[in-house]
Amino acid sequence: MEGDSLSVIKLKDILLVTVPDDPGDNVIQELQVKVLNAMEKFGSKGLLLDISSVNVLDSFFARTISETTQMVALMGGRTIIAGMQPSVAITATELGLHLGKAQTTLDVDRALDIFSDSSS
Amino acid sequence: MYHTQSKYIASFNEWTEQKEFINFTEEDESYLKKLHPYAMNYADECVEMLYEHLLKHDATRKFLTDEKTLNRLKLTQKAYFLDLTSGDYGEDYFNGRIKIGMVHQRIGLPPQMYLSTFCYYLQTIIPKIYSYPDLGTETANKMFMALYKIICLDQELAISAYIHAVDEVITRQTEEILEMSTPVIQVWEGVVAAPIIGTLDSNRTHQFMERLLETIVATNSPVALVDITGVPQIDTATAQHLIDTINAVRLLGSQVIITGVRPAIAQTLVHLGIDLTDIITRPTMASGLKVALDRLSLRVIDMPKGMQGV
Repeated sequence: MEGDSLSVIKLKDILLVTVPDDPGDNVIQELQVKVLNAMEKFGSKGLLLDISSVNVLDSFFARTISETTQMVALMGGRTIIAGMQPSVAITATELGLHLGKAQTTLDVDRALDIFSDSSS
Repeated sequence: MYHTQSKYIASFNEWTEQKEFINFTEEDESYLKKLHPYAMNYADECVEMLYEHLLKHDATRKFLTDEKTLNRLKLTQKAYFLDLTSGDYGEDYFNGRIKIGMVHQRIGLPPQMYLSTFCYYLQTIIPKIYSYPDLGTETANKMFMALYKIICLDQELAISAYIHAVDEVITRQTEEILEMSTPVIQVWEGVVAAPIIGTLDSNRTHQFMERLLETIVATNSPVALVDITGVPQIDTATAQHLIDTINAVRLLGSQVIITGVRPAIAQTLVHLGIDLTDIITRPTMASGLKVALDRLSLRVIDMPKGMQGV
């Protein structure tokens, strides 16, 4: 039912997804499917996840993101996670959650800089 | 201030239990009530005697500086003593007594003087109680015992108020020290620095982490220098707290450089088998700042001669 709220935006040669503030398990699952389909369709070289509005991060979220990162890598893309809130980062650390190989940046701008640097 | 619940201040319920413990019964209450009219009778004289005594001693004289204060205190003291025999020892009495303890603590009257004064007061009134022929020795004995019990209960409250006040000062200072010892400052656009002074326990780590992360986001800084020059020694717990902090910073998309790794700290880290190889570490804050500027593709260059001060 929340499926419509999630959209994968193709931005030049990368994919941009803004994660809603309290993503349920099904939303995250759907994110993975949509992203992988878009990777296939557009042959994008990267995925940019904007999580600046996410307030709560649970183990399922962390694991799915980590797995998605690996899947995207298998399809030839790199993943950058942008804008995690301090409180979310603290909770994640306390719970021992990590996002695997995904790179992180302070905001979307910096992530875009990294993507454009690596393409040139 | 005294509404904050410290473990030293009893609640009214606990005080009621204390009454039971001390064996302060309804009988005692009734004897105290019976004593009240006599107390009205001797109150003025006893208060006068008490203050005469207090004025004789340096330790108490300094609180009785002028005539006005003295007269006001005599009145309050009289009311306070009369309250002892009021016969009503409910919540109002309880709150009033705690407040009195607080006031004594605030004006700086040492607890031993408070206790001694009470003792002297007892010495002045006991002969009085036994001097009324219509009371008889047995009644006087019961009244004395009841009075002694309520005075003990009073003193418990006053002393706990004293301890509570000291406890609050300690709590506040601990918080202040905690605040002071973890400043996070922006040293360059995109670089924040956080010198850690003292040991990192889990409580402080949490506060430090929160502050560091918030400052990183607020200043949009990709690099954070965490300086451990002021950390006396590192153990596995401290190291784990540092690693947690570094991981949290990484999640934000920023990078930590640990600076101030002294030879002793380096030795300890290796001996403890703590692996910091995927973390950038530098011996001084200055060398750490150089790395930070490097990351931001910035360079500090010498100014050509004649350009200084522009």
